[in-house]
Amino acid sequence: MTAVIEQPIVRTEPRSRFTEIWRVVRLHALTPSVFFGIPWIILGTAWLVMIIIGVIAGAAGADTEKMGEGMRYSWAVLSPQWYLVVVGVQAIGLTMSFALGFGATRRDFWLGTSAMFGIVSLLNAIAIATLVQLEKLTDGWWLNIAMFDALWYGQNGWLVDFYTTLALQLFVLFIGASVTTVYLRWRMRGMLTLALGAIALILGFVAVATFSKSWPAILEWFGGIGIVGVFTVVLGLALVCAIGGYLVIRRATPR
Amino acid sequence: MTRTVVRATGLTKRYGSFTAVDAVDFTLEENRIYGLLGRNGAGKTTVMQMLTGQIFPNDGQLEVFGRTPAEHADVLRRLCFIAESQRYPDAFHASHVLKAAPWFFENWDAEFAKRLVDDFRLPLNRPIKKLSRGQLSAVGVIVGLASRAPLTFFDEPYLGLDAVARHIFYDRLLTDYAAHPRTIVLSTHLIDEVANLLEHLLIIDQGRILLDRDAEEVRGSATTVAGGRAAVESFVADRAVIGREGIGGLASVTIDGRLDQADRVRAAELGLELAPVSLQQLIVHMTGTDLRADSIEQEVAA
Repeated sequence: MTAVIEQPIVRTEPRSRFTEIWRVVRLHALTPSVFFGIPWIILGTAWLVMIIIGVIAGAAGADTEKMGEGMRYSWAVLSPQWYLVVVGVQAIGLTMSFALGFGATRRDFWLGTSAMFGIVSLLNAIAIATLVQLEKLTDGWWLNIAMFDALWYGQNGWLVDFYTTLALQLFVLFIGASVTTVYLRWRMRGMLTLALGAIALILGFVAVATFSKSWPAILEWFGGIGIVGVFTVVLGLALVCAIGGYLVIRRATPR
Repeated sequence: MTRTVVRATGLTKRYGSFTAVDAVDFTLEENRIYGLLGRNGAGKTTVMQMLTGQIFPNDGQLEVFGRTPAEHADVLRRLCFIAESQRYPDAFHASHVLKAAPWFFENWDAEFAKRLVDDFRLPLNRPIKKLSRGQLSAVGVIVGLASRAPLTFFDEPYLGLDAVARHIFYDRLLTDYAAHPRTIVLSTHLIDEVANLLEHLLIIDQGRILLDRDAEEVRGSATTVAGGRAAVESFVADRAVIGREGIGGLASVTIDGRLDQADRVRAAELGLELAPVSLQQLIVHMTGTDLRADSIEQEVAA
């Protein structure tokens, strides 16, 4: 009769939780093109297009001041965000399956992935907020173009631009990742339930707001909380996705 | 003294109304090479996925190194399982896999991995998506061997490997296993290829374990008796028959259990031919549907 062993079989160096989580960050960073390269190629291409437009407009003698005003409504500064949702999806859909095969726990994988998201968001927020200031400082790269100094950017200083970008980045990454955990745990049925639930919630909110004639009050409230307030709501949603994803992934199974 | 590294009792996995693994009981002892054999869809991968905590059993008890594997880092760090259909991050090359391996496998031997890459001629800097089936198998085989994990799983390691590569795997596995004993579970449906490598057999079919026996015992445990139909039938009358074939007046019957000297003499007197059954033939007999016309028709219809 043999007994189930209690003592470890092989030499096992004590490994700290930090190491177990950090190796997941390293796993994500192993192909830097995914989190850094491609988003900045997208952004760089958009910037190049803007520069060329600026050069053409300048050479043609158009009113570049007015062109810059128009460019403030361009979404070019947000161009990498859609791609980053996909990065969030793939971080869970493909990398988790691999990490589990290598003996990571789901818990450590999610914590490591969250740390990676945090690092990426922090770096991108610093870079974008700084580029906004650079663009203002150089009068639109000496061409009066407004790529970074657009939408809500460039109006409330570096810190607000930094904060809003950080919130947005965390939100897009975590929404992609957390929705994917729902798929991995409950497959198509979970996705349909989630989609129908979200639609029902939005329609319900619209119905309640419309019947109680509270749209003006809602709009006023959003106006009242300002840019920083709105992005605090976005950050809150990112946090909800992060916590939800942690709870859901614990029993998710790779495809 | 051998120690039990895996103990499964009533282990069950259901997918909706389909029972992939049906209340199986088995144990795996330390430092042995196990063959998990069975047909496609028999439940081999499902068993390995449960053992490595990748999926959750619906029922039964499972202890790996003394506790449930899922979400227990101290268990998982001693396992290595590269699934046959393993998914890799989109931008990964084989070089990325080998670079990450030592962060996860504490016994990782980078030198050994490098030699294996040369042996298998694995292109390191090609996207994994672009590798051939055999090269993909080589990635799994290299990680499995070089990880030296105390409990290593090879899931269909031979898939797509050419004859030379299969021989290299066979050779390196035995050499390294001798130097660094560990528990190895090898799943395959290409049985004769690995037959001589295995120390213990677990044959699984339709989610149930049909056979759980020492490989040495199984080899030569079954015999095919061939000759005139009447003579064959009288010889096998009170024996456990596991397979039956025949054309006209000739019959060939496979029986379970060893034959003693008296049996052999009697067979000779009856003019019967006795032939040992290979592992593969034995498993075909045990897991194959009867090769009668009606059952084949049913399979075609299904």
